[in-house]
Amino acid sequence: MTDETLEGWAPEIGRGVTLEEVVDRAFDYRGNVTVVRADGAELEGFLFNRDRDVPRPFVELFDPNGDGPLRILYADIRAIRFTGKDPAAGNSYAAWLRAKEQKKRATEPTAGGA
Amino acid sequence: MSVPLSQMLTVATYVLRQRLAGRPRYPLVLMLEPLFRCNLACAGCGKIQYPAQILKKHLTVERCLAAVDECGAPMVSIPGGEPLMYPEIGRLVKELVARRKFVYLCTNAVLLRAKLEDGLFEPSTYLSFSVHMDGLREEHDEAVCRDGVFDEAVDAIREALRRGFRVTTNTTLFDGANPLRMREFFDAMMDLGVEGMMVSPGYSYSKAPDQEHFLRRQRAHELFSRMFSNPARRWKFNQSPLFLRFLMGKQDFECTPWGNPTYNMFGWQRPCYLLQEGYAGSFKELLETTRWEAYGRSSGNEKCRDCMVHCGYEPTAVHHTFGSWRGFRDSVVATVSGRL
Ligand code: SF4
Ligand code: SF4
Repeated sequence: MTDETLEGWAPEIGRGVTLEEVVDRAFDYRGNVTVVRADGAELEGFLFNRDRDVPRPFVELFDPNGDGPLRILYADIRAIRFTGKDPAAGNSYAAWLRAKEQKKRATEPTAGGA
Repeated sequence: MSVPLSQMLTVATYVLRQRLAGRPRYPLVLMLEPLFRCNLACAGCGKIQYPAQILKKHLTVERCLAAVDECGAPMVSIPGGEPLMYPEIGRLVKELVARRKFVYLCTNAVLLRAKLEDGLFEPSTYLSFSVHMDGLREEHDEAVCRDGVFDEAVDAIREALRRGFRVTTNTTLFDGANPLRMREFFDAMMDLGVEGMMVSPGYSYSKAPDQEHFLRRQRAHELFSRMFSNPARRWKFNQSPLFLRFLMGKQDFECTPWGNPTYNMFGWQRPCYLLQEGYAGSFKELLETTRWEAYGRSSGNEKCRDCMVHCGYEPTAVHHTFGSWRGFRDSVVATVSGRL
Protein backbone atom coordinates (compact mmCIF):
# COMPACT_ATOMS: atom_id res chain seq x y z
CA MET A 1 0.00 0.00 0.00
CA THR A 2 1.37 3.39 -0.90
CA ASP A 3 0.39 6.66 0.65
CA GLU A 4 -0.97 7.93 -2.67
CA THR A 5 -3.88 10.32 -2.50
CA LEU A 6 -6.42 11.78 -4.89
CA GLU A 7 -6.28 15.09 -3.04
CA GLY A 8 -6.38 17.93 -5.55
CA TRP A 9 -7.58 15.71 -8.42
CA ALA A 10 -9.98 17.47 -10.80
CA PRO A 11 -10.81 14.96 -13.51
CA GLU A 12 -12.58 16.00 -16.67
CA ILE A 13 -15.47 13.61 -17.09
CA GLY A 14 -15.57 12.07 -20.56
CA ARG A 15 -11.82 12.45 -21.10
CA GLY A 16 -10.58 8.98 -20.24
CA VAL A 17 -12.77 8.72 -17.17
CA THR A 18 -16.52 8.22 -16.88
CA LEU A 19 -18.91 9.86 -14.46
CA GLU A 20 -19.49 6.49 -12.79
CA GLU A 21 -15.76 6.02 -12.25
CA VAL A 22 -15.30 9.46 -10.77
CA VAL A 23 -18.28 8.96 -8.46
CA ASP A 24 -16.80 5.64 -7.30
CA ARG A 25 -13.45 7.29 -6.58
CA ALA A 26 -15.20 10.13 -4.73
CA PHE A 27 -17.18 7.57 -2.72
CA ASP A 28 -13.92 5.89 -1.68
CA TYR A 29 -12.22 9.21 -0.95
CA ARG A 30 -11.92 10.07 2.73
CA GLY A 31 -11.96 13.86 2.41
CA ASN A 32 -14.51 16.38 1.19
CA VAL A 33 -15.18 16.81 -2.51
CA THR A 34 -16.82 19.57 -4.54
CA VAL A 35 -19.64 18.50 -6.81
CA VAL A 36 -20.34 20.80 -9.75
CA ARG A 37 -23.94 20.54 -10.89
CA ALA A 38 -25.21 20.82 -14.44
CA ASP A 39 -26.26 24.45 -13.82
CA GLY A 40 -22.75 25.31 -12.59
CA ALA A 41 -23.68 25.48 -8.88
CA GLU A 42 -21.04 23.97 -6.60
CA LEU A 43 -21.66 21.90 -3.51
CA GLU A 44 -18.90 20.87 -1.13
CA GLY A 45 -19.13 17.95 1.27
CA PHE A 46 -18.32 14.39 2.21
CA LEU A 47 -19.77 12.04 -0.37
CA PHE A 48 -20.75 9.03 1.74
CA ASN A 49 -23.22 7.20 -0.45
CA ARG A 50 -23.96 6.40 -4.05
CA ASP A 51 -26.53 4.12 -5.60
CA ARG A 52 -26.47 3.14 -9.24
CA ASP A 53 -28.89 0.22 -8.91
CA VAL A 54 -31.98 2.43 -8.83
CA PRO A 55 -33.94 3.98 -11.71
CA ARG A 56 -32.49 7.44 -10.93
CA PRO A 57 -28.91 6.92 -9.64
CA PHE A 58 -27.83 9.38 -6.94
CA VAL A 59 -25.05 10.39 -4.57
CA GLU A 60 -25.46 11.70 -1.02
CA LEU A 61 -23.30 14.18 0.89
CA PHE A 62 -22.94 15.82 4.27
CA ASP A 63 -21.94 19.46 3.78
CA PRO A 64 -18.99 21.05 5.68
CA ASN A 65 -21.31 21.88 8.60
CA GLY A 66 -22.35 18.26 8.85
CA ASP A 67 -25.83 19.02 7.54
CA GLY A 68 -27.49 16.58 5.22
CA PRO A 69 -27.83 14.19 3.67
CA LEU A 70 -28.05 16.16 0.43
CA ARG A 71 -28.99 14.06 -2.55
CA ILE A 72 -27.79 14.79 -6.11
CA LEU A 73 -28.75 12.75 -9.15
CA TYR A 74 -25.97 11.42 -11.37
CA ALA A 75 -27.74 13.12 -14.25
CA ASP A 76 -27.22 16.47 -12.52
CA ILE A 77 -23.44 16.11 -11.98
CA ARG A 78 -21.09 17.91 -14.36
CA ALA A 79 -17.85 17.38 -12.42
CA ILE A 80 -16.39 16.31 -9.08
CA ARG A 81 -13.20 17.82 -7.69
CA PHE A 82 -11.26 16.28 -4.82
CA THR A 83 -10.87 19.53 -2.92
CA GLY A 84 -10.74 18.48 0.74
CA LYS A 85 -7.73 17.25 2.68
CA ASP A 86 -7.37 13.46 2.55
CA PRO A 87 -7.35 12.27 6.18
CA ALA A 88 -6.11 8.84 5.11
CA ALA A 89 -3.00 10.15 3.37
CA GLY A 90 0.25 9.48 5.18
CA ASN A 91 -1.54 7.89 8.13
CA SER A 92 -0.88 4.32 7.25
CA TYR A 93 0.49 1.67 9.57
CA ALA A 94 3.50 1.45 7.27
CA ALA A 95 4.19 5.18 7.66
CA TRP A 96 3.92 4.85 11.44
CA LEU A 97 6.33 1.92 11.49
CA ARG A 98 8.78 3.86 9.32
CA ALA A 99 8.63 6.84 11.67
CA LYS A 100 9.08 4.58 14.69
CA GLU A 101 12.08 2.88 13.13
CA GLN A 102 13.65 6.26 12.33
CA LYS A 103 13.08 7.46 15.88
CA LYS A 104 14.62 4.29 17.27
CA ARG A 105 17.66 4.67 15.05
CA ALA A 106 18.04 8.30 16.08
CA THR A 107 18.07 7.46 19.79
CA GLU A 108 20.36 4.42 19.51
CA PRO A 109 24.00 5.16 20.40
CA THR A 110 26.12 5.14 17.26
CA ALA A 111 29.05 2.76 17.01
CA GLY A 112 32.04 4.18 18.80
CA GLY A 113 29.90 6.90 20.37
CA ALA A 114 30.08 7.93 24.01
CA MET B 1 -17.26 -20.58 26.06
CA SER B 2 -17.73 -18.04 28.78
CA VAL B 3 -21.07 -16.49 27.90
CA PRO B 4 -23.62 -16.45 30.79
CA LEU B 5 -26.36 -19.06 30.55
CA SER B 6 -29.10 -16.42 30.27
CA GLN B 7 -27.39 -14.93 27.22
CA MET B 8 -26.87 -18.31 25.65
CA LEU B 9 -30.52 -19.21 26.17
CA THR B 10 -31.70 -15.89 24.75
CA VAL B 11 -29.60 -16.37 21.65
CA ALA B 12 -30.57 -20.02 21.23
CA THR B 13 -34.27 -19.22 21.57
CA TYR B 14 -33.95 -16.33 19.16
CA VAL B 15 -32.17 -18.42 16.51
CA LEU B 16 -34.70 -21.25 16.83
CA ARG B 17 -37.57 -18.77 16.54
CA GLN B 18 -36.10 -17.33 13.35
CA ARG B 19 -35.64 -20.78 11.90
CA LEU B 20 -39.16 -21.87 12.83
CA ALA B 21 -40.48 -18.70 11.20
CA GLY B 22 -38.57 -19.73 8.07
CA ARG B 23 -36.57 -16.48 7.94
CA PRO B 24 -33.69 -16.97 5.53
CA ARG B 25 -31.84 -13.90 6.81
CA TYR B 26 -31.86 -12.59 10.34
CA PRO B 27 -29.50 -10.44 12.41
CA LEU B 28 -27.68 -11.67 15.47
CA VAL B 29 -25.63 -8.68 16.61
CA LEU B 30 -26.32 -5.09 15.64
CA MET B 31 -23.09 -3.17 15.17
CA LEU B 32 -24.17 0.28 16.31
CA GLU B 33 -21.71 3.08 15.60
CA PRO B 34 -22.99 6.26 17.25
CA LEU B 35 -19.86 8.20 16.22
CA PHE B 36 -16.52 7.88 14.46
CA ARG B 37 -14.50 10.10 16.82
CA CYS B 38 -11.74 8.45 18.76
CA ASN B 39 -9.09 9.45 21.28
CA LEU B 40 -6.56 7.16 19.65
CA ALA B 41 -5.36 7.01 16.07
CA CYS B 42 -4.33 3.41 15.53
CA ALA B 43 -2.60 2.71 12.26
CA GLY B 44 -4.74 0.52 10.07
CA CYS B 45 -8.02 1.89 11.44
CA GLY B 46 -10.13 3.27 8.61
CA LYS B 47 -13.00 4.07 10.98
CA ILE B 48 -11.59 7.40 12.08
CA GLN B 49 -10.43 8.73 8.73
CA TYR B 50 -13.14 11.24 7.93
CA PRO B 51 -13.31 15.00 7.50
CA ALA B 52 -13.91 17.15 10.57
CA GLN B 53 -17.66 17.62 10.12
CA ILE B 54 -18.17 13.84 10.15
CA LEU B 55 -15.94 13.30 13.18
CA LYS B 56 -17.85 16.01 15.06
CA LYS B 57 -21.23 14.44 14.30
CA HIS B 58 -22.95 11.67 16.22
CA LEU B 59 -26.27 9.89 16.19
CA THR B 60 -28.96 10.85 18.68
CA VAL B 61 -29.98 8.23 21.24
CA GLU B 62 -33.41 8.18 19.63
CA ARG B 63 -31.96 7.27 16.24
CA CYS B 64 -29.83 4.57 17.85
CA LEU B 65 -32.86 3.09 19.61
CA ALA B 66 -34.98 3.25 16.47
CA ALA B 67 -32.28 1.25 14.67
CA VAL B 68 -32.12 -1.27 17.53
CA ASP B 69 -35.89 -1.74 17.47
CA GLU B 70 -36.01 -1.93 13.70
CA CYS B 71 -33.26 -4.54 13.56
CA GLY B 72 -34.46 -6.71 16.46
CA ALA B 73 -31.11 -8.46 17.07
CA PRO B 74 -30.73 -9.77 20.64
CA MET B 75 -27.20 -8.39 20.97
CA VAL B 76 -25.89 -4.90 20.32
CA SER B 77 -22.22 -4.18 19.91
CA ILE B 78 -21.19 -0.54 20.19
CA PRO B 79 -17.91 0.01 18.42
CA GLY B 80 -16.84 3.32 16.98
CA GLY B 81 -14.84 5.49 17.07
CA GLU B 82 -14.60 5.39 20.82
CA PRO B 83 -18.09 5.00 22.30
CA LEU B 84 -17.02 6.46 25.63
CA MET B 85 -16.59 9.78 23.79
CA TYR B 86 -20.26 9.68 22.82
CA PRO B 87 -21.87 12.29 25.07
CA GLU B 88 -24.98 10.17 25.66
CA ILE B 89 -23.35 6.79 26.12
CA GLY B 90 -24.76 6.40 29.67
CA ARG B 91 -28.34 6.98 28.54
CA LEU B 92 -27.94 4.83 25.45
CA VAL B 93 -26.65 1.86 27.45
CA LYS B 94 -29.38 2.29 30.06
CA GLU B 95 -32.06 2.21 27.36
CA LEU B 96 -30.55 -0.85 25.72
CA VAL B 97 -30.31 -2.71 29.02
CA ALA B 98 -33.94 -1.79 29.73
CA ARG B 99 -34.79 -3.43 26.38
CA ARG B 100 -32.90 -6.55 27.56
CA LYS B 101 -30.36 -6.31 24.80
CA PHE B 102 -26.98 -7.86 25.50
CA VAL B 103 -24.66 -4.91 25.01
CA TYR B 104 -20.97 -5.13 24.18
CA LEU B 105 -19.45 -1.71 24.62
CA CYS B 106 -16.21 -1.90 22.62
CA THR B 107 -13.72 0.51 24.09
CA ASN B 108 -10.01 1.22 24.07
CA ALA B 109 -10.54 1.83 27.83
CA VAL B 110 -8.56 5.07 27.94
CA LEU B 111 -11.62 6.83 29.39
CA LEU B 112 -13.12 3.84 31.15
CA ARG B 113 -11.86 4.46 34.69
CA ALA B 114 -13.06 8.08 34.60
CA LYS B 115 -16.50 7.10 33.29
CA LEU B 116 -16.84 4.40 35.96
CA GLU B 117 -15.87 6.88 38.66
CA ASP B 118 -18.50 9.27 37.28
CA GLY B 119 -21.07 6.53 37.89
CA LEU B 120 -22.16 6.49 34.26
CA PHE B 121 -22.91 2.76 34.19
CA GLU B 122 -24.44 0.17 36.46
CA PRO B 123 -23.30 -3.46 36.47
CA SER B 124 -25.72 -5.74 34.66
CA THR B 125 -25.76 -9.16 33.01
CA TYR B 126 -26.77 -7.25 29.91
CA LEU B 127 -23.69 -5.03 29.81
CA SER B 128 -20.11 -6.06 28.99
CA PHE B 129 -17.16 -3.82 28.40
CA SER B 130 -15.32 -5.32 25.49
CA VAL B 131 -11.84 -3.88 25.84
CA HIS B 132 -9.64 -3.53 22.79
CA MET B 133 -6.42 -5.42 23.60
CA ASP B 134 -4.18 -6.39 20.71
CA GLY B 135 -1.72 -8.37 22.78
CA LEU B 136 0.72 -7.85 25.62
CA ARG B 137 2.12 -4.39 26.45
CA GLU B 138 4.62 -4.17 23.61
CA GLU B 139 2.30 -5.48 20.89
CA HIS B 140 -0.72 -3.53 22.09
CA ASP B 141 1.01 -0.18 22.43
CA GLU B 142 2.51 -0.68 19.02
CA ALA B 143 -0.88 -1.53 17.47
CA VAL B 144 -2.57 1.53 18.99
CA CYS B 145 0.43 3.76 18.17
CA ARG B 146 0.75 5.10 21.70
CA ASP B 147 2.84 4.00 24.63
CA GLY B 148 1.12 3.46 27.95
CA VAL B 149 -2.30 2.46 26.61
CA PHE B 150 -1.91 -1.17 27.62
CA ASP B 151 -1.30 -0.18 31.25
CA GLU B 152 -4.24 2.23 31.21
CA ALA B 153 -6.49 -0.50 29.82
CA VAL B 154 -5.33 -3.05 32.42
CA ASP B 155 -5.97 -0.54 35.19
CA ALA B 156 -9.46 0.19 33.82
CA ILE B 157 -10.25 -3.52 33.47
CA ARG B 158 -9.30 -4.09 37.12
CA GLU B 159 -11.50 -1.20 38.19
CA ALA B 160 -14.46 -2.41 36.13
CA LEU B 161 -14.13 -5.93 37.52
CA ARG B 162 -13.81 -4.57 41.07
CA ARG B 163 -17.10 -2.75 40.54
CA GLY B 164 -18.83 -5.93 39.38
CA PHE B 165 -18.99 -5.31 35.64
CA ARG B 166 -18.69 -7.97 32.98
CA VAL B 167 -15.45 -7.44 31.07
CA THR B 168 -14.26 -9.18 27.94
CA THR B 169 -11.39 -8.37 25.60
CA ASN B 170 -11.38 -8.08 21.82
CA THR B 171 -8.21 -8.69 19.90
CA THR B 172 -7.50 -8.12 16.24
CA LEU B 173 -4.50 -10.01 15.02
CA PHE B 174 -2.23 -8.49 12.45
CA ASP B 175 0.38 -10.00 10.24
CA GLY B 176 3.44 -11.04 12.16
CA ALA B 177 1.55 -11.88 15.36
CA ASN B 178 3.52 -14.29 17.52
CA PRO B 179 1.47 -17.31 18.65
CA LEU B 180 3.58 -17.89 21.75
CA ARG B 181 3.22 -14.27 22.84
CA MET B 182 -0.53 -14.58 22.21
CA ARG B 183 -0.70 -17.62 24.45
CA GLU B 184 1.03 -15.57 27.15
CA PHE B 185 -1.49 -12.82 26.47
CA PHE B 186 -4.41 -15.25 26.99
CA ASP B 187 -2.86 -16.29 30.31
CA ALA B 188 -2.40 -12.65 31.32
CA MET B 189 -6.03 -11.79 30.53
CA MET B 190 -7.28 -14.79 32.49
CA ASP B 191 -5.04 -13.75 35.41
CA LEU B 192 -6.67 -10.33 35.26
CA GLY B 193 -10.05 -12.02 35.67
CA VAL B 194 -11.83 -11.11 32.45
CA GLU B 195 -14.91 -13.15 31.65
CA GLY B 196 -13.77 -14.13 28.19
CA MET B 197 -11.75 -13.11 25.16
CA MET B 198 -12.65 -12.50 21.54
CA VAL B 199 -10.13 -12.81 18.75
CA SER B 200 -10.37 -12.13 15.06
CA PRO B 201 -7.94 -11.73 12.22
CA GLY B 202 -7.65 -8.27 10.72
CA TYR B 203 -9.02 -7.61 7.30
CA SER B 204 -7.88 -5.87 4.15
CA TYR B 205 -10.91 -3.79 3.29
CA SER B 206 -10.93 -1.24 0.53
CA LYS B 207 -10.91 1.83 2.75
CA ALA B 208 -8.39 0.47 5.25
CA PRO B 209 -5.05 2.10 4.72
CA ASP B 210 -2.94 -0.99 5.23
CA GLN B 211 -4.13 -3.86 3.20
CA GLU B 212 -0.81 -5.61 3.10
CA HIS B 213 -0.61 -5.72 6.88
CA PHE B 214 -3.53 -7.95 7.48
CA LEU B 215 -3.50 -11.65 7.63
CA ARG B 216 -4.00 -13.70 4.54
CA ARG B 217 -6.18 -16.71 4.88
CA GLN B 218 -3.59 -19.47 4.85
CA ARG B 219 -1.22 -17.75 7.16
CA ALA B 220 -4.14 -17.04 9.43
CA HIS B 221 -5.05 -20.74 9.72
CA GLU B 222 -1.47 -21.51 10.60
CA LEU B 223 -1.27 -18.76 13.18
CA PHE B 224 -4.54 -19.69 14.87
CA SER B 225 -3.69 -23.40 14.86
CA ARG B 226 -0.47 -22.68 16.69
CA MET B 227 -2.17 -20.27 19.02
CA PHE B 228 -5.05 -22.56 19.99
CA SER B 229 -3.32 -25.94 19.91
CA ASN B 230 -3.60 -27.61 23.33
CA PRO B 231 -5.52 -24.66 24.73
CA ALA B 232 -5.15 -24.10 28.46
CA ARG B 233 -8.35 -25.15 30.19
CA ARG B 234 -8.62 -21.81 31.93
CA TRP B 235 -8.73 -19.83 28.68
CA LYS B 236 -12.25 -18.62 28.12
CA PHE B 237 -13.41 -17.28 24.80
CA ASN B 238 -16.50 -15.19 24.44
CA GLN B 239 -17.22 -16.62 21.03
CA SER B 240 -18.45 -19.78 19.43
CA PRO B 241 -15.92 -22.66 19.57
CA LEU B 242 -16.93 -23.45 15.99
CA PHE B 243 -15.72 -20.00 14.93
CA LEU B 244 -12.38 -20.70 16.61
CA ARG B 245 -12.21 -24.03 14.76
CA PHE B 246 -12.96 -22.15 11.57
CA LEU B 247 -10.04 -19.82 12.25
CA MET B 248 -7.82 -22.87 12.68
CA GLY B 249 -8.96 -24.22 9.31
CA LYS B 250 -10.77 -27.18 10.91
CA GLN B 251 -14.23 -26.06 9.87
CA ASP B 252 -15.40 -24.54 6.62
CA PHE B 253 -17.99 -21.82 6.74
CA GLU B 254 -19.45 -19.28 4.33
CA CYS B 255 -19.92 -15.68 5.41
CA THR B 256 -23.24 -14.43 6.80
CA PRO B 257 -22.89 -10.69 6.14
CA TRP B 258 -26.40 -9.82 7.32
CA GLY B 259 -25.71 -11.55 10.68
CA ASN B 260 -23.96 -8.49 12.14
CA PRO B 261 -25.56 -5.54 10.35
CA THR B 262 -23.99 -2.11 10.86
CA TYR B 263 -25.84 1.12 11.50
CA ASN B 264 -24.21 4.54 11.70
CA MET B 265 -24.86 8.17 10.73
CA PHE B 266 -24.75 7.19 7.05
CA GLY B 267 -27.51 4.58 7.41
CA TRP B 268 -27.47 0.76 7.15
CA GLN B 269 -24.12 -0.21 5.73
CA ARG B 270 -23.95 -2.59 2.76
CA PRO B 271 -23.02 -5.40 2.95
CA CYS B 272 -21.20 -5.76 6.28
CA TYR B 273 -19.21 -4.08 9.02
CA LEU B 274 -16.03 -4.11 6.93
CA LEU B 275 -17.02 -3.24 3.42
CA GLN B 276 -18.64 0.10 2.72
CA GLU B 277 -20.39 -0.36 -0.58
CA GLY B 278 -23.23 2.03 0.13
CA TYR B 279 -26.04 2.61 2.59
CA ALA B 280 -29.71 1.68 2.83
CA GLY B 281 -32.30 3.89 4.47
CA SER B 282 -33.89 1.11 6.53
CA PHE B 283 -32.99 -2.36 7.77
CA LYS B 284 -35.74 -3.81 5.60
CA GLU B 285 -34.28 -2.07 2.57
CA LEU B 286 -30.82 -3.38 3.50
CA LEU B 287 -32.09 -6.97 3.67
CA GLU B 288 -34.22 -6.73 0.55
CA THR B 289 -32.06 -4.72 -1.81
CA THR B 290 -28.46 -5.72 -1.03
CA ARG B 291 -27.09 -8.08 -3.66
CA TRP B 292 -26.01 -10.67 -1.08
CA GLU B 293 -24.98 -13.11 -3.78
CA ALA B 294 -22.11 -10.73 -4.61
CA TYR B 295 -20.46 -11.29 -1.20
CA GLY B 296 -18.83 -14.13 0.66
CA ARG B 297 -16.13 -16.46 -0.58
CA SER B 298 -18.27 -18.45 -3.00
CA SER B 299 -19.26 -15.22 -4.76
CA GLY B 300 -15.73 -14.88 -6.09
CA ASN B 301 -15.68 -11.29 -4.87
CA GLU B 302 -12.03 -10.34 -4.46
CA LYS B 303 -12.77 -8.32 -1.37
CA CYS B 304 -14.19 -11.38 0.37
CA ARG B 305 -11.58 -13.88 -0.74
CA ASP B 306 -9.32 -13.77 2.29
CA CYS B 307 -11.81 -12.55 4.83
CA MET B 308 -12.22 -14.58 8.02
CA VAL B 309 -13.40 -11.79 10.22
CA HIS B 310 -15.71 -12.51 13.14
CA CYS B 311 -18.51 -10.19 12.00
CA GLY B 312 -19.00 -12.32 8.88
CA TYR B 313 -18.30 -15.80 10.20
CA GLU B 314 -19.29 -15.82 13.85
CA PRO B 315 -22.99 -15.52 12.91
CA THR B 316 -22.52 -18.53 10.63
CA ALA B 317 -20.99 -20.47 13.52
CA VAL B 318 -23.85 -19.53 15.85
CA HIS B 319 -26.43 -20.39 13.20
CA HIS B 320 -24.70 -23.74 12.73
CA THR B 321 -24.60 -24.39 16.49
CA PHE B 322 -28.28 -23.82 17.08
CA GLY B 323 -29.46 -24.82 13.65
CA SER B 324 -28.26 -28.41 13.41
CA TRP B 325 -27.76 -31.33 15.78
CA ARG B 326 -24.27 -31.81 14.44
CA GLY B 327 -23.35 -28.17 15.02
CA PHE B 328 -24.82 -28.32 18.51
CA ARG B 329 -22.97 -31.54 19.31
CA ASP B 330 -19.64 -30.16 18.01
CA SER B 331 -20.04 -27.00 20.07
CA VAL B 332 -20.92 -28.93 23.22
CA VAL B 333 -17.99 -31.31 22.74
CA ALA B 334 -15.55 -28.43 22.21
CA THR B 335 -16.94 -26.54 25.21
CA VAL B 336 -16.97 -29.50 27.59
CA SER B 337 -13.64 -31.02 26.54
CA GLY B 338 -11.89 -27.65 26.23
CA ARG B 339 -10.36 -28.92 22.97
CA LEU B 340 -10.80 -27.16 19.67
S1 SF4 C 1 -9.22 2.65 19.32
FE1 SF4 C 1 -10.47 1.57 17.79
S2 SF4 C 1 -11.63 3.17 16.76
FE2 SF4 C 1 -9.98 4.18 17.87
S3 SF4 C 1 -8.37 4.41 16.36
FE3 SF4 C 1 -7.97 2.52 17.47
S4 SF4 C 1 -8.98 0.89 16.28
FE4 SF4 C 1 -9.78 2.87 15.56
S1 SF4 D 1 -16.62 -12.17 3.50
FE1 SF4 D 1 -18.43 -11.29 4.49
S2 SF4 D 1 -17.67 -10.14 6.27
FE2 SF4 D 1 -15.95 -10.53 4.90
S3 SF4 D 1 -15.82 -8.71 3.63
FE3 SF4 D 1 -17.07 -10.21 2.49
S4 SF4 D 1 -19.17 -9.74 3.09
FE4 SF4 D 1 -17.86 -8.71 4.56
